[in-house]
Amino acid sequence: MSGVYESPKHRINTSMLSQYINRPVCFIGRLEKVHPSGKTLTLTDGEGKTASVELNDPLDEELSGIVEVIGMVSNKGTIMAVSHTQYREDKASFDMELYNESLKVLHDFPQYYPFEVSLSG
Amino acid sequence: MTVRLSEGAIESLTKGVEVSNPVLQCVNIRKIDGGNGLSRFRLMMSDGLHTMSSFMLSTQLNPMAEQNQLASNCVCMLKRSVTNVLKDGRRVVVILDMEILKSADQMPGKIGDPTPYVEGQSKAQQSTAPAPTVRPLQSQNGSDGSMIRPPAQSFGKKPMSAPNTPGGSSKVVPIASLNPYQSKWTVRARVTNKNAIRTWSNSRGDGKLFSMELVDESGEIRATGFNNEVDKFYSLIEQGKVYYISKGTLKIANKQFSSLKNDYEMTLNGETSIIPCEDSHDVPMVQCEFVSIADLESREKDTIVDVIGVCKNTEDVMRIMTKNSREVSKRNIQLMDMSGRVIQLTMWGNDAETFDGSGQPIMAIKGARLSDFGGRSLSTLYSSTVMINPDIPEAYKLRGWYDKEGHAMDGQSMTELRGPGGGNTNWKTLAEVKNEHLGHGDKADYFSCIATIVYIRKENCLYQACPSKDCNKKVVDQQNGMYRCEKCDKEFPDFKHRLMLSANVADFGDNQWVTCFQESAETLLGQNSSYLGQLKDSNEAAFDEVFQLANFNTFVFRNRVKLETYNDESRIKVTVVDVKPVDHREYSKRLIINIRKMAAQ
Repeated sequence: MSGVYESPKHRINTSMLSQYINRPVCFIGRLEKVHPSGKTLTLTDGEGKTASVELNDPLDEELSGIVEVIGMVSNKGTIMAVSHTQYREDKASFDMELYNESLKVLHDFPQYYPFEVSLSG
Repeated sequence: MTVRLSEGAIESLTKGVEVSNPVLQCVNIRKIDGGNGLSRFRLMMSDGLHTMSSFMLSTQLNPMAEQNQLASNCVCMLKRSVTNVLKDGRRVVVILDMEILKSADQMPGKIGDPTPYVEGQSKAQQSTAPAPTVRPLQSQNGSDGSMIRPPAQSFGKKPMSAPNTPGGSSKVVPIASLNPYQSKWTVRARVTNKNAIRTWSNSRGDGKLFSMELVDESGEIRATGFNNEVDKFYSLIEQGKVYYISKGTLKIANKQFSSLKNDYEMTLNGETSIIPCEDSHDVPMVQCEFVSIADLESREKDTIVDVIGVCKNTEDVMRIMTKNSREVSKRNIQLMDMSGRVIQLTMWGNDAETFDGSGQPIMAIKGARLSDFGGRSLSTLYSSTVMINPDIPEAYKLRGWYDKEGHAMDGQSMTELRGPGGGNTNWKTLAEVKNEHLGHGDKADYFSCIATIVYIRKENCLYQACPSKDCNKKVVDQQNGMYRCEKCDKEFPDFKHRLMLSANVADFGDNQWVTCFQESAETLLGQNSSYLGQLKDSNEAAFDEVFQLANFNTFVFRNRVKLETYNDESRIKVTVVDVKPVDHREYSKRLIINIRKMAAQ
């Protein structure tokens, strides 16, 4: 699992999860709910679709708003998180829809956003 | 098959005698190009006996000539005409309405052997001609006796009741019949729009003017008053009221400044009289031909349109600098109509400042200009009339629709998202500015860019300026504690610090030296100039630090670029007009739109 940090991580939204099973990803979403166990988060992406995030350890802090998660996509299509960060929105709010639009640009034009190159580096 | 020409009619017309529906043959037709793109047609007509070449076609009949219905040899009946005497005594017959009886190809050629008509030398053949009905001139017209008033009934939807004017001098005529070849007329019209007084000042002197729009059931016209007429009439005229107006000067309308559907416009002069009319209920209110917002897509750019819509959204008022460095207010609002489409309308000046969009009012705009900026958008002009919640059926219908279903609709916008700065933002990368040779033309070019400061020269960035308000001229240190301003021709015990900054800015492709003045320089440095002035003298380390901290900050620049020549050496000079922090959301949106556009090509 520690390999997630070293390897490049695709930015994806919920509908792309199934194409990234067993691959490291970066997912940004709005926190909808935290499971009572504190180990599962539900995030919605810029298209309003939800994704489940499994944490290694229960949350030990307040979490709300926009959260970035880095992790591996499981066979079930959930994200096994290795880290999560809450975005500050005190100065400007994060535009999920706009982020989603830029995500799509990344995936529509992979030739201009070469990803695999960095693997060899 | 045979047609009979009204022999003798030419002579009568030339003498200013009214001839009822004369039948004439067109001998020749010639196009005269007017100075402002409006062409007119001059005709030589024959009555079988005589020809005369000074027939002019009024402009609304131009299509007849342009479509070749009216051509040499065709026979036509003049249904309405006006004979006008020019200063040198020549007479011109202006044809206001005519009908083609026989087209040119139905005619074998010229009828008879007409000779050019010369006054006082008529062929004594009148008796053989089927004497046209000749009626003596209406005497009420008085003086020059050359005017034949067209019957008012032919205009408008219903006959004008022609109430007598208070002066009793001339009959009320419809606005549609006004033309430069008549001098005596009165119109009874409602002032639908009265613009504020504007002043001008140029090499030929100063002056002021105001304009208003007049409407009756036949049509509309713009009237402008200058200097004396501003003093005389401006306070008298109330928008929405009805007046009798007589004796203005009529001239071809300058369509650049007017959106009204009239080929002419009126200038108020020393002889003009304007008298309020009490009985005004039958004079129509503003005439609007509303275009559906969805239909604006297919209209050409710069078309003047009337639009009605619900004000869905109101942006804050903004102050911007025009190219000739005049500061104006502008405000954008979003209008939606029953087509479910939304368009952005930009209002300017006072309209923008005083506008209150609360409660989503119905807005009717007469004479807005359609622009292709950001897809499709609208802008008010000086001549536009903006009506808020107007008392017209369209407004009530729209209100009903909006309250019932429209408010829930999202409404697809005709105007694309756009970057900050408003106006017509000409986004360029610094490399594009160089490659496209911006600023090499006669006029300066303006562009906006997103760039990062890589260096600011701190040497000579501050100068000592005249402390009087609005004067920023450099002062001369008199070395006696006084500072002299040449412009104000005064000495002052102090001065103010002002900034003139040379900065090197870069984007991913290139870099560029730019000059920043006071406000933009303060924004880049994040400090005001008087503080910097103090710092420079008291704490050089802190002063240097301000310049260090300014590096590698990114801004949105709006720049003016011009090729300037000093001592036979030409170089591109870029001056910062405005600088703003980057709105990353707007910037990202613009980048995404650009990427999608490029991909689609």
